[in-house]
Formats: sequence, structure tokens, C-alpha cells
Amino acid sequence: MPIAIQQTDILALLMITHLIASLVAAELRNLRAAIWALVVQSFLLACIIASFAFVWNNYTLLIWAFITIATKVVIIPALLFYMLHITSLTVELRPLIGLRASLLFGTVLIVVFYWILRTYIYFVAPTQAAMVEPARSSLTVAFCIFSLGVYVLITRRDVIKVVIGLHLLENGAHLALITLAPALPTTTKLGIWTNVVVAAYMIVKLTEGIYKTLGVTDTLALSELKR
Amino acid sequence: MVESWLPILVFVIPTVCGVISLSLRRASGFFHSVIAVLGLTGTFAISVAITVEVMKGNVLVALNNTIYADGLSALMELLGSCMGMVVAIYSIRYIPIHVAHRADAPQRLSTYYGLLLLFLGMMNWTCVTNSIVWLYVTLEATTLATVFLVTFYWDRRSLEAGYKYLMLVTVGIIFSLFGLVLIYAGVAGLPEMKGRDVLLITELSRVGRKIPYSVVLLANALLVAGFGAKAGLVPFHAWLPDAHAEAPAPVSALLSGIVIKVGAYAIARIVTVFAPQYPAVIIFVAIMASLSMVIGILMALVQDDIKRMLAYSSVSQIGYVVEGLGFGTYLGIYGGLFHLVNHTIVKALLFLAAGAVAHVTGTRRLSELGGLVHRMPVVAICFFIGALAIGGLPPFSLFMSKFTLFAAAADLRLTWAAVIAVFTGLLTVACFVRAALRIFWGKPVEAIQPAVAHANGGERSVPMSMVLPMLLLALLTVVIGFYPGLIHPILDRATECILKVLTGGF
Repeated sequence: MPIAIQQTDILALLMITHLIASLVAAELRNLRAAIWALVVQSFLLACIIASFAFVWNNYTLLIWAFITIATKVVIIPALLFYMLHITSLTVELRPLIGLRASLLFGTVLIVVFYWILRTYIYFVAPTQAAMVEPARSSLTVAFCIFSLGVYVLITRRDVIKVVIGLHLLENGAHLALITLAPALPTTTKLGIWTNVVVAAYMIVKLTEGIYKTLGVTDTLALSELKR
Repeated sequence: MVESWLPILVFVIPTVCGVISLSLRRASGFFHSVIAVLGLTGTFAISVAITVEVMKGNVLVALNNTIYADGLSALMELLGSCMGMVVAIYSIRYIPIHVAHRADAPQRLSTYYGLLLLFLGMMNWTCVTNSIVWLYVTLEATTLATVFLVTFYWDRRSLEAGYKYLMLVTVGIIFSLFGLVLIYAGVAGLPEMKGRDVLLITELSRVGRKIPYSVVLLANALLVAGFGAKAGLVPFHAWLPDAHAEAPAPVSALLSGIVIKVGAYAIARIVTVFAPQYPAVIIFVAIMASLSMVIGILMALVQDDIKRMLAYSSVSQIGYVVEGLGFGTYLGIYGGLFHLVNHTIVKALLFLAAGAVAHVTGTRRLSELGGLVHRMPVVAICFFIGALAIGGLPPFSLFMSKFTLFAAAADLRLTWAAVIAVFTGLLTVACFVRAALRIFWGKPVEAIQPAVAHANGGERSVPMSMVLPMLLLALLTVVIGFYPGLIHPILDRATECILKVLTGGF
């Protein structure tokens, strides 16, 4: 069936660009550009979900894709830009690891993770659903983005970059959730997205408070309580 | 299985009251406290009704089995709504005085009571939900509801604490979501799950033992990290001392009493499903728990801030709870749940007493306190009861639960775990008795003048609405110590609920 082949081609392209966008969002030093990369990354996530809707003939997934666009492509980036606006920063605070080393490490992390997980996917998700394409690649991509998010959270000290890492982590977990549990009831999806938006809003409020009392967005400066 | 509205009402009532409080921004503090106390009394009454039904041997379900209340749920509901009431009464005087000097005091009171009620609603929801994804959603919601309570004073220190709390626990919860997704996939692939609702925890526990080993290992590692972060288990405890110390005293009592117990509840519900077929899980949990106990109490010993000391002690005590749950035997689970209940009561008592001390003196530093027994004799007695109890001395309630845990460890031939637990107990006695003697019987410190205290929002004496909750908790500590049989039936029922899963008795 030529149409099916076309679908998988589009999906493969989407997933590869999704991975690259994640890496770009993680590595860019210009904060505004990094947020735009996150917007693209989230938009691609919505596209992947929408194409799953057609591949699996499960059109309720389209609702999920729309909610993803509303929350992750519109609301959350708007909140992040608001954070940027109040802190009037443009360039990320120097992270704990240099740009070249970080780029190299991030790429190696993704490639190695992708290779290992793609080969041994039955080890983590021993189900029929996860063995066949596109679920297999999608789950692998989800794991890669999840681990990239963990890496960003560990090595970055700028609050905005930490929040971007958190969203990468979340996007990875949500992609895995959609891949393995596409039949989730709509109420459950709404619950998840409410949490995501509320958490993002609270982080912005806290950052605003911290910036107004301390004048920095450096998470390492938050050490008053350490002894 | 009985269809019932009670498990829905138990979380809808506090949630609705919370939304009312949050939306009436300009109402008086008195109005908010009335709403809170009335709402929580209603919730408590419903929890009692659920408990009565559960004790008859029924399981209450609603909404296509997605809401499910058994013995374990009833125990948590009862504990949660009881603590909520105590904290709401304590807050009546405490909170308004502490925000009185701020221009936006009415809005702050509305936020405080609104979030307090919302948190209890979400916590009750966590304990009755039967869907693994809703478990994740509501667990995260309990965190989100409490973050702005931690940052209530909105100063440098509380903001830092709130930021750490939100970040660490949110990341942890995302980890556990990933773990839940993997378990879901593992269950969905089993042939016997055809046509069944895979999202239900009851279905999951029915077939839990058939999930492949590799999934169990990876998923459990993710779940223990996620729920462990919520429970404050070492090494995921970094948020706990900061958040507990910087929050207002009643919120600290709630955090130590209930919030971290929700994490323990999630571990009891999901992780124990896999404990029996893999003895390695038991050893792993015992090691994690023992580390938590020792590191927690050693850190508590070197603190100068009373509330940080209490917070680190919570890290230590949650180790006992998780160890018991991880053992997977009747005695272990019974001891873990018993300790969960007792620790909730005693730690809330200690935090409320510490709050009263800070309320009157304006300081929380041990080195600046002393000789307060004459100024606040009732608080002194309450704190001393709490100190002896948390050290596990007879005849108080924690002696009973710790002894059960020692017996459970010995039963499994884990002598080293029992020895570590006893050793931690001794250090706890030393730590707390020293603190109690210093605060109340030590050399009176004259440097703390009432004027200073007033600048910090203090009063000359502790008001009745703050003393009553403490007296109630102290009474409970003593009564449960003398008559453990009082709560034995509900504990027994809750233990049976977990064991039924473990032995596959569905």
C-alpha cells in the first residue's frame, strides 16, 4: 500500500526533526531562540500525535493533538516569554558544562540511547503494541527526549533553561503515554493537561518572586537554606 | 462491592469549599476559617461513614469502578480529614496574626484556606482513585496545591524552599508517570487482559505477578524515585527540610503529617504489587529505608533550627514506614501503616508545638531558646510527650509501631535492619529529649523581649485555639499507646487490602 509507506515516511521525518528540535532547545544559549525551539518541538509532538490518529484510525487522538497545541505551543511558551520579559535576560547563564562538550554529549546521549532502545525495546515494553512501527520508534524517541530532559535539568543553572528541561522531560513522558496508552479517556487527558499548565504557571510565579527578591535567575544562587 | 456516593463526596466537598474560599478574595479571615472547619468536619463525617462501611467488609465503588474505597483508602481518608481539622483550628489565630502587617492580608487568607482545602480534596481523591493515570494526576495536584502554602510568606527563604519543592517533586512525579506507563504497557500486553480496563489499579494488581521481570525492574526504579521524592526518602529528600522549615507551622504539620504520607500511600498501592515475587525488591527497599533512617536522624542531630530538626526527623521516620511496607509480610505492612498513623499524629503535634514556641518568642533557634516552661507549661508538656513518643519510648504509640517493625524485621531474618532501626530510635530519643530540655527547661534566655516577638507577629501567650489541637494530638498519642486495640480493626483491614494483592486473592 503506497499510502501506508508515505505515512511511515512522514512519521519518521517528524520523529527525527522532533529529536533534533529537542537537542536544539536544550543547547541554544540564546534564551529566546531556545524557547522558539521548544515551541517547534512541542508543535512536532502535536503533529506526531495527529499522525498516530490516522495511522491507528483513533480519531480521539486529534483532540489530544489540539490540546497539545493549545497548552504546549501557545500557553506554556507565552508563560516562558513572560518570564524572559520580567527578567529581561537574553543569554543563558553559563551552564556547568561548555557548549561544545554539551552538544557532543547531548548528541552521543541521543544516538546511543536511540540505538540501544530501538534494538532492545522488548526489554522495557514487552507488548505487541510496542514492537511494531511506528510505536517502536516513537517509544524510543520518547525515552531519548526524557533522558535529554534529565541531562538538561542536571547541568543547567539558568531558571528558564531548567524549565525548558522540565518540559522536555514532560514531553518525553507524554509521548510514551500516548504511544502505549492511546485509548485514555478524555477526562484523564484533561486532568493531565490541567496539571501541566498549572505547574508551568506556578513556576513562572515563583521565578518572578525570586527575581524580585534576589535579582537573579541563577538556581545555584538559591543556597540560603543550605548549611 | 457496593455502589456509593461517599467516596466521591469525600473529595468533592473539600474541593468545592476550597474553590469558594479561593474565589471570595475579600471575605474576612473568620469567614474562611468557618468554611474550612465546616467543610472539613463534613469530610471527616463522610470518612467515618466510609470506614463504617468498609469495616462491614464492603468495598465502595463509583463511576465504573474508577473510584474505589477499601480499608487502606478509609484509613488515609480518616487520618487526612482528622489532621485537616486539627490544622484548620490551629490556623484560626496563627495565620491572621502572621499576615496582619501586610496590605494584602485578606487575599492571603483566602489563598491559604482555599489551598488548604484544595489540598485535602486532592489528597482524598488520590486515596480513592482506582486509575493509575489519575493517581499520577491527583498526586501531582497535591504538590501543586501545597507549593503556595510553603511560599506563604513570599520572602527570600520561603521562595527558595517553594522552588525546590515544586521542581524536585514535579520531576519525581514525571518519573513515576513514566514508570506507570511502562507498567500499563506490560499489563496491556497480557492475553488475560483482553476486553478489560487496563487502567484500573485493581486489575493491575490481579495480574501484576505476570508482568515480565525487565519491566518490573525499570518501572519500579522509576516509581520508587518518583513516589520516594514525594515521600521524602533519602536520596530524594533535598526539598523536605527547606519546605518544612519555611512554611507556616500548621502547613509544616500538614506536610510532615499528610503530604509525605501520600507518597508512602502510592508506594503501598503500586510498588508492593511486585514485592512478593522478587525478594530483591524487599532487600532494596530495606536498604533505602535504613539509609533514610540513619541519614535523617544524623542530620536532625546537628540542626539548630527546631523546624529543620523536626523535618529531618521526618526523613528518618518515613524510612520506618517504607521499610515496613517493603517487607511485604503481614507484620511488616501492619507495622508500616501503624507507624504511618502514629508518626502523622506525633509529628503534627511537634510541629504545632514548635510553631507555638516561635509564635510567642519570634525565634526558632535552639541556641536562642530556653526556660519557656513557665511561660507555656501546656505546650512544654505536649512537646515533651511528642519527644518521648517519637523516640519510641513506652508507653507511647510509636513504641508499639516501632516494636512491630523490629519484630517484622527479625521475622524475615533481617537482623541488620532491626539493629539499624533500634539504633536510629536511640539517636531520636537523644535528639528530641535534648531539644525539649533546652527549649523548656534550659537557662532562660532574657534576650527575647516581647517587643521583638511582636515584630515577628508573636503574642505573649499561646491562644486557646492553638493549645486545643495540640492537647487533642497529645491525648491521641497517649491513648493509642495504651490501647492500640482502638485502631487495630481499621489497620488490620488496611493491611488485608495490601496482602490480598500480594497473595493474589482477587
